[in-house]
Amino acid sequence: MSAVFDDGLSLFGVRRMMEGVIPPVLCTASADRVPNVSYLSLCEYVDPLHIALSYQFFNRSRENVLATRRAALTLDDPYTGGGVVMQLEYLRTETEGPVFERLRAKLMGVASHVGMDKVFHLRGADIYCVTEMRRVPGRKELPAAAPRVDLATNSRLLSERMANSEDMADLLDTLLGGLDDLLRIDHAMLWLSDASQQVLTLLASRGYDFEGAGAEISVGEGLVGTAVREGVPIRVGHMMNMATYMRAVRERAGESGLNVAPAPEIPLPGLKEPRSQLAVPLRARGRVLGALLVESQHDQYFGYDDEDALMLLCGQFAVAMSLMQPQDQDAPAPVTGRPAPVGQGPALRLRRLGRDNSVFLDDIYLIRGVAGAILWKLVAEFLRSGRREFTNRELRLAPELRLPDVQDNLEVRLLLLQRRLAEQNAAIQLEKAGRGRMRLNVSRDIVIEREAG
Amino acid sequence: MALTNDMIQLLSAGVAHQVGACTNDGRPVVCRGLAAQHEAGRLLVIVSSESGFEVLDAIRQNGRIAVNITLPENYRSLSFIGDDAVVRGSGAAWRPLVTERHNAFSEQLRRFGIPPEYTNAWYSADDEHLVAIRFTPLQARNQTPGPGAGNPVDLIPIEFEK
Repeated sequence: MSAVFDDGLSLFGVRRMMEGVIPPVLCTASADRVPNVSYLSLCEYVDPLHIALSYQFFNRSRENVLATRRAALTLDDPYTGGGVVMQLEYLRTETEGPVFERLRAKLMGVASHVGMDKVFHLRGADIYCVTEMRRVPGRKELPAAAPRVDLATNSRLLSERMANSEDMADLLDTLLGGLDDLLRIDHAMLWLSDASQQVLTLLASRGYDFEGAGAEISVGEGLVGTAVREGVPIRVGHMMNMATYMRAVRERAGESGLNVAPAPEIPLPGLKEPRSQLAVPLRARGRVLGALLVESQHDQYFGYDDEDALMLLCGQFAVAMSLMQPQDQDAPAPVTGRPAPVGQGPALRLRRLGRDNSVFLDDIYLIRGVAGAILWKLVAEFLRSGRREFTNRELRLAPELRLPDVQDNLEVRLLLLQRRLAEQNAAIQLEKAGRGRMRLNVSRDIVIEREAG
Repeated sequence: MALTNDMIQLLSAGVAHQVGACTNDGRPVVCRGLAAQHEAGRLLVIVSSESGFEVLDAIRQNGRIAVNITLPENYRSLSFIGDDAVVRGSGAAWRPLVTERHNAFSEQLRRFGIPPEYTNAWYSADDEHLVAIRFTPLQARNQTPGPGAGNPVDLIPIEFEK
């Protein structure tokens, strides 16, 4: 079938109109030509001749499409006020494959963000051939906004900076700093996945009142959790609008009560009312190692080009992170004997729950998992022998830490622990002490307790 | 059948309008509406003859029409269906109604951070392109997104002078 498009129009060129800032409008008609007009959740570019529309509910639009296989669709440009109208021919409904997964990830990401992922269920991706596309005539359009930065050039600069990073801390700071000063992305968080616990841990953030290192969310929760679970980027350009749309659907669905997540033990940083968000997975060696979440107080701040640029940069970051093996220092760390009393204030109570290695300082939750186990080992050894310096190698070989994948995890877990202790201004601090070595700094006496769990 | 008071109030609350039709050979067509108003049991809808030429042609063929109104603040959405639509009357006489509806709609979108300059692009039809469509609503459908979108809702059976 040949398609008839206005001069200069292409489906690729109107991708930005499919972002849902102004919801697409679908017009169908019954077999006896009674029209029906409704709004859609999602429209997705497939290829130069095809688009996919979300199929969530069996309603009159779907009944009509199955009867006639024809539809008209309008899309509005979120920047200029221009628009296009299309004639569509329904081809098929896909319930698996990349197009379906992309639509489902977007739907779940946004639904989860507003706590409605239990209500939303993508039944299929309806694939349509676009047989005609023309501009809506008679509109006095606004000029398109100028690009925020030269994305290609500045991404290249950032990539070069990252390539020169020598360790994990440097790599992380380079990425977050570069997003800010080169790409004008002021608010960013970097989350790490821990496949064994199905949680994401915040490694670092930039642009918020507090860093929140060590905060956790579930894989699948919110935009970032969904991006990790599905391994695809998810972008929302007009969160207020989408949230309102989702609430309308929920009310129609007759659901009562949201799936309220328990309050996090470490507060999450983040904008109170973000207008735009983009979550990009960190993928390397066939795995998703975490995700970068960027957000803005402005509508439509991130476009397709940002998504492309951040996918490349996050890919580079993930590969570098996975290749950045802890540096070994084979010489044994010096032993100084049992620690002398520090004697400043009451002793610090260090408590550990065996179940998940959660560590508490004076009953205040600090961290869990591998990072918690590392801290426990370091402090126990310090109290036993007085030793303050430790090598990465001995941690890698320590059977009690049960590191799931040392090359991927030790360096970042040490960095996470170091930042969490620093943010808490704790009486125990961790610092680098040379190649492959770290030092424990203790400013109060310590009493340790272990609870079964 | 006539609109309920609730529906009539919704018409002036700052809704977006979409007008759908279908040609005799089964081609569905749609355009943005500029204003709608209840008139003694009938519904008046204003569209631009530039952006809505396909819809006007289809209505002239068979009189079938679906007018969707949606309030952005909560996505409450209704459609009114008719089969006796006629295209009649155009010009500057409709400008005050269009301006009133445009202002109310802009105020709705302003809450979402969309500036009036943006909605002005949708309402930029010249006076000579404003065209009126009138029809008797036979059916109303709840089009609020979700399951059951498109299901009928009650209209009021009333007598009115033609």
